[in-house]
Amino acid sequence: MSVLALVAMLAVVGALTFLFRYAMIGLFAGRTLPRWLHSLCRHIAPASFAALAASELFVHAGEVVFALSAPKPWAALVAAVVAWRTGNVLATIAVGMAALYLLKAVL
Amino acid sequence: MGRRLDEFLAGCRDEAPLQLGVIPFGMLYGIGALAAGMPVWLAQLSSMLVFAGAAQLVIVQMLGAAAGALPIGLTAVLLNLRHMLYSASVAEHVRHLPRRWRVLLAYLLTDEAYAVAILRYARPAGEGPDLRHWYFLGCGLTLWGCWQLSTALGIAFGARIPPEWDIDFAVPLTFIALLTLLVKERAGQAAALVAALAALALAALPFRLGLVLAIVLGLLAGAAVARRREGRP
Repeated sequence: MSVLALVAMLAVVGALTFLFRYAMIGLFAGRTLPRWLHSLCRHIAPASFAALAASELFVHAGEVVFALSAPKPWAALVAAVVAWRTGNVLATIAVGMAALYLLKAVL
Repeated sequence: MGRRLDEFLAGCRDEAPLQLGVIPFGMLYGIGALAAGMPVWLAQLSSMLVFAGAAQLVIVQMLGAAAGALPIGLTAVLLNLRHMLYSASVAEHVRHLPRRWRVLLAYLLTDEAYAVAILRYARPAGEGPDLRHWYFLGCGLTLWGCWQLSTALGIAFGARIPPEWDIDFAVPLTFIALLTLLVKERAGQAAALVAALAALALAALPFRLGLVLAIVLGLLAGAAVARRREGRP
């Protein structure tokens, strides 16, 4: 992507993000968020993070690859267990990175 | 000015502990932005324009995977749609303020500033006029300053980190950590599961458009499950 396209994309994302934040304070002040939009908004973060993590771990150049010898999915699995048991973001990152280095040395 | 300054400083003080979590994210973003090929000035400018940690990390990750501008923009915009929830939540407290105040507070309305400011609005304003927006401003500016500073730190360090350290792997790890924190009920689990499976099933679509579609399918699945469960006694 050219730098110009990147700047344009970031400017549009920034402008829309501001509009979302300003929406109920300024644009539609005095109105309430429709129920369906409220319901959709609640699941945006989990859906996005799951899709991104899955594609980062298993998609390479548009193809789905499940390789037992690939270190990243295993490291991610270890990190997921830490996240689930501790609920601590920094611990998850630290253990996941350590697992990756270890697996890269072993596999 | 005394009470305004008191509210402002109280907001800064109460927002400060959250920066322990914010600063590593900002640095990670700065490091990732350079690794994905963003020019230094643009990596910093993006922290001012977009000013949303999760969306910025997503942009960096997709850039690194050579996604097109449209899918990246759509994914980031979808992710930031949740800020409308915060906007709706603070609306009743800031509605009376002049527009310049509302514009400024809207720009500063991030996850972490919202979380602290909304607690102040749950407590009484105190004697005299309501000056709690100064507290909100203190929260927002503290976070803004830390975000810009940690981005700059990440940019400064990022140039010195060799690529074989795989430091960008910390981004999907972050998503996994946030995911386990966020997904506590059935509807959220359904949204995450459908989105992840759809992301793999649609991986062959050009420009990573499959990601955008996967997120939308996940949203619909979450909404459908939430609706079915509401229908039960």
